[in-house]
Amino acid sequence: MTDSLLSVRNFRARFDGETGGDIWAVDGVSFDVERGETVCLVGESGSGKTVTCEALTRLVSADLDGEIRFGGRNLLGLSEAQLREVRGAEIAHVFQNPQGALDPVYSVGEQLREAVERNRDDLGESGDSGESGDSGESPDSPREVAIDLLDQVGIPEAATRYDDYPHEFSGGQKQRVVIALALAGDPDLLVADEPTTALDVTIQAQILDLLGELQDDRDVGVLFVTHDLGVAAQVADRIVVMYAGKVMERGGVSQIFDSPSHPYTRALFRCLPGWGSALDPIPGDPIDPADPPGGCRFHPRCSAAVPECGEGEQPDLYDADSQGESDHRVSCVFYGPDRNPAELDAERPTTPETARVPKEGDDD
Amino acid sequence: MATDSGDRATFETVDWSAVDDPNHLPTGRSLAFLTAVGLLTVAFGYDYLLADGPLAAGWSPTALDWLSLVGVAAFACYVVAPLAQNRQLTRRYWRQLRRDKLAVASLGWLVFFALFALVGPVILGDPETAPMGMGASEGRYGIPIYQPPVGFGVSEHAATVCSGPVSDGKCWGTVLHPLGTTNTGEDVLAFVAQGARIELKLAFVSGMILVPVATVVGTVAAQFGGRVDSLLMRYVDLQQVIPAFFVYLVAQFLYGGSLLLMVVVFGLLNWGGVARLVRSEALKKREAGYVKAAQAAGGSRLAVVRRHLMPNVANAVVTAITLQIPMLLIIETTLSYLGLGPMQGQSWGYLIETNIHDKNFPTLVWWSVAAPVGFLVATVVSLNLLGDALRDVLDPRTDGKTSGKTDGGDR
Repeated sequence: MTDSLLSVRNFRARFDGETGGDIWAVDGVSFDVERGETVCLVGESGSGKTVTCEALTRLVSADLDGEIRFGGRNLLGLSEAQLREVRGAEIAHVFQNPQGALDPVYSVGEQLREAVERNRDDLGESGDSGESGDSGESPDSPREVAIDLLDQVGIPEAATRYDDYPHEFSGGQKQRVVIALALAGDPDLLVADEPTTALDVTIQAQILDLLGELQDDRDVGVLFVTHDLGVAAQVADRIVVMYAGKVMERGGVSQIFDSPSHPYTRALFRCLPGWGSALDPIPGDPIDPADPPGGCRFHPRCSAAVPECGEGEQPDLYDADSQGESDHRVSCVFYGPDRNPAELDAERPTTPETARVPKEGDDD
Repeated sequence: MATDSGDRATFETVDWSAVDDPNHLPTGRSLAFLTAVGLLTVAFGYDYLLADGPLAAGWSPTALDWLSLVGVAAFACYVVAPLAQNRQLTRRYWRQLRRDKLAVASLGWLVFFALFALVGPVILGDPETAPMGMGASEGRYGIPIYQPPVGFGVSEHAATVCSGPVSDGKCWGTVLHPLGTTNTGEDVLAFVAQGARIELKLAFVSGMILVPVATVVGTVAAQFGGRVDSLLMRYVDLQQVIPAFFVYLVAQFLYGGSLLLMVVVFGLLNWGGVARLVRSEALKKREAGYVKAAQAAGGSRLAVVRRHLMPNVANAVVTAITLQIPMLLIIETTLSYLGLGPMQGQSWGYLIETNIHDKNFPTLVWWSVAAPVGFLVATVVSLNLLGDALRDVLDPRTDGKTSGKTDGGDR
């Protein structure tokens, strides 16, 4: 198997807790992103999705551990200066809130032009030619490239909107501009952190379509963060389900949607309108990241939990398909060597009964 | 969403990049500024080390003159030149400023004040009024003290030497002394012009010290955080407890008073408050998505500070500076009033002090007090009003709104 575009192995991110303890926001996460593929990180708030994304190019101030292989090197081993060359040019980010992602004092065109120019400078530096003059009359001036980018992301009358300021764009248009900015560096990997959450549903669909088209055109890998399984179903090739800094389940989009295997994934699906008989929230609260429970992180809230769920470490990522090697992996004891996943199906109640959660699990 | 004005698409870019991309050579503007500073340094060196006597005909500049010339160069390169180059932007600013009548009036006054301070002393000359009537015409000769301003009259017995017409037992003001003369016979208008020039220099030089220092310290502290932030802000704390007034008194005692000393002491000890304000604003802006986005796009921390943080705190800087500079003007006047002034005998404070204690005040010489006080009040109020209006004008988001007084600029 050839190298993946991005390969995250046993990645951990530690923050200092307010009371002095350590908070492992991400605790041993592994996944891959291939070129031209969209991988969705799914999970509820506080599951470590955003930290994982921003830690790729070390945009968070946390202690990072593990391995993030990208373009043949470990990004965690790079200096700040080397990382700057990766940011934008190789890994670009699209953030959640387009309202704040554009600098209000510059026109949209100028911000794009700057991004285009920076990318050219980077190319000039890495190339062997010594000339760095970018003011020469190249066939595509940065302005033209910027207008072309605006056009590509579907801003009507791109040339006239070039000189407009961010506040003159609507939310959806702003997110289009933000995507254009991310593309200006011609990245290999696009990290989109809930890019549609702040938008209304129709605009959301348009932005998702746009991302899909651009991905097809440019063959970029996309790491897409969302808490919305509906969005994930629409864009993802593969899905990584995270909970409390751990991977609960990962697999192809059809594997996850056709046969969700981890109780947490199933619980997430039951939260979706139209999937269960009624809206079925997951009982309990997300864990305290400063004091995570032993064993499976989800077991205090899991309706199928058995005493061994609360013992030891998070279970390994077992193969969800018992009869062979698949990349559908589940971190649940029921898929382990000692148990049969059928037990989980048998025990799965139609409506979860919180009373079944064994209490001794929390206590040590 | 967008304004529906037809010229929406013609706005030129806001050119904050006075000091441009670190990857590039300095822009023409920075080059011009550096050249100007270089030339001034050479001229200063020549004047200081080699030349005896005046540099040019009748002009021997002081250290403060040199500094204010640097301030003027900075103002020309980073405020006037960008506005002149970027007509679209200038028109947009002007269109917005025009909505605020008070701000336009303030700008008008400040322009007048600057011209008056520059040209006034040259045209009006020394406030010392020449003795008149040496030919003893009409039996009145001597130094015309207590001359009233134009349009006013005082008792003939008070102004025994009247340079204007005398009628009904009253000495009337004359255009020879439009604002009258002091109790020692100095022309008030010429005196006010002379004082205005001091205030102008003070404003330019202290602005030149305050703006860059406060902006750099504030934004750097906010962006780098941690130890850098603590160090800078604790230094500001320390500086804030040093009373600039006291330092000035001691330094004056040790080194002799000069306007330069005052500007340096008050300028260097007073940027702390502005820096704090800038820091808190920058802390807010640092959390904005575009700062993170700029970092995610490969910008270095310093580049982010300069490209994104500084322009976005410009509003705060302008507001703070337009409060700080008037304060310095008032301090200068106060010091002169107390007889501690650096330019004793030339400042507005001195003019007020010598005349307010005249035995004939306020029946006579009220004009010698009213003129400098009026100038001071008008200037201070104008700076405040204009600063407030500029805060809104400099924010592109307020464009198209009906009033500049919106809180839409705050995020």
